[in-house]
Amino acid sequence: MVLFGLGGLLYVSVLLINAIAILSEDRFLARIGWTSSADPGFGGRDEASVKARLVNLVSSVRTLMRIPLIVINTFVIIYELILG
Amino acid sequence: MQRPNYSNPPPAHSPPLHHPVPQHVSTVPQLRSPPPPQPPSQPHSGYGYGQQHGGPGAGAGAGGGGYNNNMGPNFNNFMNDPTAQMMGQFGKTAYSAGQEYVEQNIGRFVNVSALKHYFNVSNSYVGTKLYIVLFPWWHRPWSRQQRMSNSGQDGYYLPPREDINSPDMYIPSMALVTYILLSTLLAGLRGAFHPELLGYNTTLALLVLLLELLVIKSGTFLLSISSSSQLLDLLAYSGYKFVGVIISLLASELLTHLGLGGRGGWAGWLVFLYCFGANAFFLLRSLRYVLLPDQGGQGVGVGGGAAGYTVARSQKFRRTQFLFVYSYVVQFGFMLWLSKV
Repeated sequence: MVLFGLGGLLYVSVLLINAIAILSEDRFLARIGWTSSADPGFGGRDEASVKARLVNLVSSVRTLMRIPLIVINTFVIIYELILG
Repeated sequence: MQRPNYSNPPPAHSPPLHHPVPQHVSTVPQLRSPPPPQPPSQPHSGYGYGQQHGGPGAGAGAGGGGYNNNMGPNFNNFMNDPTAQMMGQFGKTAYSAGQEYVEQNIGRFVNVSALKHYFNVSNSYVGTKLYIVLFPWWHRPWSRQQRMSNSGQDGYYLPPREDINSPDMYIPSMALVTYILLSTLLAGLRGAFHPELLGYNTTLALLVLLLELLVIKSGTFLLSISSSSQLLDLLAYSGYKFVGVIISLLASELLTHLGLGGRGGWAGWLVFLYCFGANAFFLLRSLRYVLLPDQGGQGVGVGGGAAGYTVARSQKFRRTQFLFVYSYVVQFGFMLWLSKV
């Protein structure tokens, strides 16, 4: 019970961010067409669509959260080992 | 010029040879390598302060009690003034720095003046707003009023005291506290009180608020709605459902006491459904200007211009769908979760 059960929310968010960050760009995202790199010859993509937004979000999370996730995961693992 | 040149090469033998310092400082000769302390009227930098502080301290430590007695009055005279000055300055600086730090850090997370705007309510506003939240069916103008600022053409929204459609934070915060206390009280009436229930209910309510903010923020991100409304507006709007939850909790408890349907019976469900419908309608009307900012034809969102007419149309359709889903489906889930305590 961390913070009256808000720890559960914390774990869920950490696990979700982990799940996004673990997606492989080459093996998974490129196959289903979720890469953010636009095809150079085909004009402007629809930047406002929901899918484009999601792709953007996934790539942003993968880029931004890679280093902090290492630290956060280490903290959570140590906490769980000692006090969990 | 000549003499220092001569005396400099053998520095190892110099300490016993020359006594350049004044008499009262010569009691600790080998520790006094910097020039003797100046009268206290001299402006002191941080460096000078550190030196003066270190010198006598070190001397006292090395010399022991006898030296301290010898230099006692001089020491006091010499240290008092600059130290007091420095400490005064230092304290002032530290105090102002601390104040600035607190202001910065609180002001970064919570905009205090923006919060004050939300608590600028009057009695008539609170009464009317509660009536609107519970009976939103006949309320007619839903748009917030703006007032042009006297300098530029950008308007700002009127505070809740002057505009009935403006969101406030007073009702949501009071309703939140009331909900926490009421749900614990009801548990106590059932004979199931436990002090942990207070914390549990608080967590539940805050969790619901957080999740709602998350839902609406991700929705506005995915639909690329660039609205000028703030996070506090959304927080206020998501807090209004506690009013409905409180009413339904109270009513179901009263009806249970009257024997009209048990807990979770049809009467309690009816009240809950009415409160949910009223709250959802209220949100549907109030959040229109948040989620559909391109109202009245000015600015068609990100599509932009006349070229993206069909895009804007489909976008608007999708936004309307999201608004509906948010204010009916999501709210139903959360209100059900809140009223099942």
